[in-house]
Amino acid sequence: MSTPATVFWQKNPALAWREIDGETVIISPNDSVMHELNDTGSFLWKNIDGKKSAVELAELLLENYEVTPDIALSDTQALLEEMSSRKLLVTVPAIGGVSP
Amino acid sequence: MSTPLTNLGRGPRQQFGLSIGRVPFRLQTSDKQLFGAASARYAAFTDAAARPITIALNNGATPEGAPADFAYEFEGAALRAFSHGIRFDGVRNQYALDSLLRVLLSWKLLGRLGFLLHAATVVRNGKAYIFTGRSGAGKSTVASLSPEGSVLTDEISLLRREDGMWRAYGTPFWGEFRAAGSNSSAPVAGIFRLLQAAENGVEILRPMAILRALLPNVLFFSAETEANRRLLEILSQAATEIAGYDLAFRKNTTFWEVLPS
Repeated sequence: MSTPATVFWQKNPALAWREIDGETVIISPNDSVMHELNDTGSFLWKNIDGKKSAVELAELLLENYEVTPDIALSDTQALLEEMSSRKLLVTVPAIGGVSP
Repeated sequence: MSTPLTNLGRGPRQQFGLSIGRVPFRLQTSDKQLFGAASARYAAFTDAAARPITIALNNGATPEGAPADFAYEFEGAALRAFSHGIRFDGVRNQYALDSLLRVLLSWKLLGRLGFLLHAATVVRNGKAYIFTGRSGAGKSTVASLSPEGSVLTDEISLLRREDGMWRAYGTPFWGEFRAAGSNSSAPVAGIFRLLQAAENGVEILRPMAILRALLPNVLFFSAETEANRRLLEILSQAATEIAGYDLAFRKNTTFWEVLPS
């Protein structure tokens, strides 16, 4: 993973999203593309608030799902990178400010 | 309703009141030709409701001042929504007018718990059956297989939540099957995603699947975040409260036999 550990993750403020039926649907208004998150993806999405790193999010996943620490971290990092590549997330450096 | 207004030097300005899905509009224009076309096209939706949304149609230069709350352009025709009213400019024919009216209606429905959907709606036993799907999925086929007078629309349906229940309305935005739609409404029985098949069958959909079926078929034209959030909120509510199904159907009237009553 290329993102530094000190980076916090934040939802792209331009998105529209809803949780329905235990899953999350996200719409990016600019291109009207619909993204869906499964149960664990929805769990992480709800906890992404601009104040948590990948490691902290993985710890939450570990506390709430039956996974090993290694898998929790690798799955979390993979999902964050995937969502970032789709412009669903932005990163917040520890020193403040928002970078795409 | 057609009444002359003041003379602005470009011929008498006329106005025409219409209502689509209980959203009232008043078109005002001195464009005689376009007025005639609009009066004919929307004749079945004529209405003189109180406090309509006034649309100034091809009424001259754009006023200077505050930016529009909402704007949309289509092939040289422009819609601009200001706090004091709506302007349609550069509208060359009834088709451009029709397009801008759809855009405006989709935006105004946000505040009325409603949305426009690419769907044919057929009323049976007093309830509205909504058949949606991409172009070619069979909306017009379903409409053509339904009794005369039962089709609210074969192209664009309007759904609104009123008094705790969802109703479907006909619209004047007709498709290929009929030249005229029905200015009426009925409570929604269900939403059916069309799949042409050799055998008829229905499969119930979970709310997320209903939302997935709705989203690609919703007419919406704003890229503004808050508007999209509001739309998603309305669609999620619809997906949770309206029964939804995948409908595999043969191209004959027997598909009605498998629909839930």
